[in-house]
Amino acid sequence: MKNPAHLLPSTRREFLHYGARGIGLLAFSRFAPGFLVESAYAQAPAPEKDRSILVLVQLAGGNDGLNTVVPFADPNYRRLRPTLGLPEKDLLKLNNALALNAGCAAMHGLFQDGKLSIVQNVGYPNPNRSHFRSTEIWETGSDSNEFLPTGWLGRFFDNACSGTPKGGDPCGVNISNEVPQSFLSEHQHPTFSLAAGRNRRQQSENLALLEQMVQTPAGHDDHDNAGYLRHTMMDALVTEKKFQKVLANYQTKAAYPGTPFGGSLRNVAALIAAGTATRVYYVSLGGFDTHNNQLNTHAGLLKQLSEGLAAFQADLEAKKLDGQVLTMTFSEFGRRPSENESRGTDHGTAAPLFVMGSRLKPGVHGTAPKLDVARNQDLQYTTDFRAVYSTVLDQWLGCKSSAILGQNYKPLGFV
Amino acid sequence: MDQSANTLTPAAAWQPLPAADWNEAAARHLLQRIGFSATPAELARVLADGPVKSVERYFARMPALPKPRQIANLETEGPEIYRNMASGNPEARRMAQQDARERSREALFDLTIKWLQLASRPENSPAEKWLLFLSDVWVVGVEKVKNAALIYQHQDYIRKFALGSAPNLAKLMSRSPAMVVYLDLQQSKPEAPNENFARELFELFTLGEGNYTENDIKQAARAFTGYRQRQGEFQFVQRQHDNGRKTVLGRSGNFTGDDVIGLVFQQKAAGTFLPKQMVSFYLSEDSLPAEQTDALGAWWAGEGHDLRKLAVKFFTSRVFFAPGYRDGYIKSPIQFYLGLVQDLGLSVAPLPRQLIGSLRSMGQMPFDPPNVRGWVGGRSWINSATLSARRQLIQALLTPLNEDALNGDEQIEIAAAYADGISNFTLDQARLAEWAKLPPTDRARELVKRYVPDLVGTELERQVATFLERSAQHSQAAAATRAALATLLESPNYQLC
Repeated sequence: MKNPAHLLPSTRREFLHYGARGIGLLAFSRFAPGFLVESAYAQAPAPEKDRSILVLVQLAGGNDGLNTVVPFADPNYRRLRPTLGLPEKDLLKLNNALALNAGCAAMHGLFQDGKLSIVQNVGYPNPNRSHFRSTEIWETGSDSNEFLPTGWLGRFFDNACSGTPKGGDPCGVNISNEVPQSFLSEHQHPTFSLAAGRNRRQQSENLALLEQMVQTPAGHDDHDNAGYLRHTMMDALVTEKKFQKVLANYQTKAAYPGTPFGGSLRNVAALIAAGTATRVYYVSLGGFDTHNNQLNTHAGLLKQLSEGLAAFQADLEAKKLDGQVLTMTFSEFGRRPSENESRGTDHGTAAPLFVMGSRLKPGVHGTAPKLDVARNQDLQYTTDFRAVYSTVLDQWLGCKSSAILGQNYKPLGFV
Repeated sequence: MDQSANTLTPAAAWQPLPAADWNEAAARHLLQRIGFSATPAELARVLADGPVKSVERYFARMPALPKPRQIANLETEGPEIYRNMASGNPEARRMAQQDARERSREALFDLTIKWLQLASRPENSPAEKWLLFLSDVWVVGVEKVKNAALIYQHQDYIRKFALGSAPNLAKLMSRSPAMVVYLDLQQSKPEAPNENFARELFELFTLGEGNYTENDIKQAARAFTGYRQRQGEFQFVQRQHDNGRKTVLGRSGNFTGDDVIGLVFQQKAAGTFLPKQMVSFYLSEDSLPAEQTDALGAWWAGEGHDLRKLAVKFFTSRVFFAPGYRDGYIKSPIQFYLGLVQDLGLSVAPLPRQLIGSLRSMGQMPFDPPNVRGWVGGRSWINSATLSARRQLIQALLTPLNEDALNGDEQIEIAAAYADGISNFTLDQARLAEWAKLPPTDRARELVKRYVPDLVGTELERQVATFLERSAQHSQAAAATRAALATLLESPNYQLC
C-alpha cells in the first residue's frame, strides 16, 4: 500500500495546516485527540527537544554477572566455575583483574573509547530469587520487603511530566511485550508500547485499518463510552502513526544487527532523531535464565546486546545526538557463583550493570564482589541499585532523586 | 435514550422479558454481561432455552475450585513458618518472613491461574463472574492480608453462600480470617474497638452511605470486638468481646456481631444496596431510577435476601434487556482477557509472569484491588497505557508462543501442559490458514460476524475486506488475516459489550 489513507493529521504542523485550510477538524472536537484541540487553541510552542534521555535495557531472566564481567585473575573464579570458567586467552581485558566475555567485543571497543562504564556488584539487601518478585523490586525501586504500587520511572513521570506533555508525545516508550512495571505511576501519563524488532509494513497497514475503524462510528455509536474509547484511542493512534512514519522513513548508516533487539534500538534511535519529547525508553532483551549448558547461549546473548548497543551508540554519534542519551542495562538478579550440575547457573543475587553514553565518566565503578564464598553461597552486593537510579535521576535526568526513591543515596560518579 | 428502561414502571421493570423480545441480540447481551463472551455453542443453547431456563442453569450451583497445590502447601507449612517468624533470633525471623511472603506469592499465582482456568470455561463463566462481583463487594486485598491461603479461603467462603442467603454470607464474611486481618478486627478490643470493619460493613458491603450514623459505626464496632484469626482459623475470644448494651440502627440490646448483621438486613437500604451494585457491575455506569431499585429491593427482602433468586430475577428482567443498556459497557481487563480466550478458542496459559503482568498493565490484578472500595470500573479502565496493554495482549494471543524467551520454570509448566494435551495458548495458526483460503469479502464477513457482530454489513466490514484484498496479491493472506483480526479485536467496538 503506497499511500495509506491519511485520515488524521500525524503532526501538529499538519493539523494546523488543515485548520488553516478550513477543513475544520475541530468540528468533531468532542472526539478529537486532546492535544490537537489544545494546541490548536493555544498555538503551543514546540516541545523542548534538548533534554536528557534515558534508555533502559532490561536483560530479562537474570544475567550471569561473573561470566559477563569476568574476574579472571581471582583463583576463586576457577574454583566456582570448573566447566563454565572462561579461558583467559578468550577474554577481553578491561584491566589486570577484569575482562569482558568474548561476546562483548563491540562493548569492549566502547569501553576503550571511554563510552562504557561498568558498575560492579549491584544488588540490594535481603535479595529475592524469584524472577517476578526481584524484577518488581528493581522496577519499583522498593526494599526487599516493601511493595510499592508505582514504578521508579512512573514516579519520575509524576514529578517531571505534570499535565499533558507537550506535543502529545508519551512520557515513556517501551519496546517490550508488556508495559513495564517501572512505568506505573500515581497519576495518568501517556506511555506508549511498540512491538519489538523492526516494524514491518503489515503493522502499519494494520494501523491504517484501525484508524479507519476509529474514524468510522458504527455499531455501538450512540453510547458515550464508545465516543470516549474512540477519543482515547485516537490520541494513542496519532502518536502511533507519527511514530510509524518516523520509523518507516528513518535513514541510518549504522550497522544494526538483524536481531529483534537491534531493530528495537534502531527504532529508539529513530524516535530520538525525530525530536520526540519522550525522555525514557525501555527495551527488553530476554533469555538470560541460563540454567543449563549456558556457555554458548550466554555468549550469544551478550553478543546481541553488545552489537546492538554499539550500533545504537554509533548511530547517535553520527547524528550528533550522543550527548543527549544515556543507556543503562539492568537484570533482576545475577546468578549463583557456583555453577550447577547442568553446566548452567541458578538464580543468584548481585551483578554488574553497564552504562553507555558519550557524556559519562568511563571505567569500572564500585567494588568487585568477594568470591571467597562457599559452594552455593551467594554474592554479597556492594552497590545498592537505587544508588544507581539516584545517580541517573540527579545527575542525568535532572530530577531530585529523594522524591522518587524516598531517601538519599550516595551518587556513584559514573555521570 | 427513548429506548431506556427508565420509562418502565417499577412493577413492569422486573418482570421477565416478554418472549417476543427474545432474539439473538438479546441472547448475546445476556451471555456477554453475565459471563465473559458469547461463544457460538453457548449462544445457540441459550437462544433455544430462553432467558429464564438459561439463567437458572448458569446459577444452579457454584462450580468448585479445588484447592490449588501451592495453597495447600502454604497451609501445611504454615505452622512451621509461623513458628520461625516468632523465633527469638531477629535474622531467622526476617528470613522466615521473607520465606512466607515468597510462598504466599507463588501460591497466589497458582490460585490466579487456576481460577482463570475455571472461569474460562463458558459453562462456568456466569457463576465465576458472579463470584468476582461479590468479591468486589466483600473486598479483601492480598497486599494487606499477605497470605494467599486466606485469600483462597475468603473466595471459598463467598462461593459457599454466593447463591444462598445474603445475611448468612455477611455473617461468614465477618468471620473470614482474610477479612479479620484486612479490616483490622484482629486488633479490636473492648477498650479500643476498631471501627474499620463496622464502617465498611455499613458503607461498602451492605447499606451504602446515608443509611447509618457515625454513632451506629461506633456502637457496631463494639459488637465485633473479640473476632480473631489464628493461622487461618477464626476464633471468637469471649474475654476480648464487649458484651455491653449497644444502640445500633435504632435498636438497643447486648448485641453480638451477628445481631448487628441481622439488624442491617432489616433496613430497607439492605434490599436496594446489592441490586444497585449489580447495576453498576453488570449494566450501566448510570444508576436506575430509585423507584425501580426500591421495587426490586422490597421484593428481594421479601425473599429473605436470597442471592440466587436475586440473580435470576435481575438477569431475566425487562430492565436488564432494555435496548438502552445494550452494547455500551466497557469490558473490565479480566473480562477482556477471558473473553479473548473464549472467543479465540484458547486455554489459559500457565504463565503467571506474562498473564499477571498483562492484567496488571491493563489495571486489574486479580485479588489485588486498589482499596476496600474495589475496582471503580467503567471509563477508569481506559487510558493510553491500558489501551496499549490491551493491544499487546491481543498481539501476544495471536502470535505463536516463543518458548525460547521463557524462564526455566515456565518451560517446565508449558511442557507439563503439553503432556496433558493442552497447547492452545495462542491462536491456532491452522485456523488462520483456513480463513486465509476464503475470498477477502467472505473472510471479512466471517471475522466481523464472529468477533464484532454488530459491525456486520457496515462500512467497517467493507474496510476490512478492502484491507484483505490489498494483501491478497502478496501471498501474505494468513499474515493479513491475522492483522485484520488483531485490528478488529483492538477496535473500540470489541472493548465494549
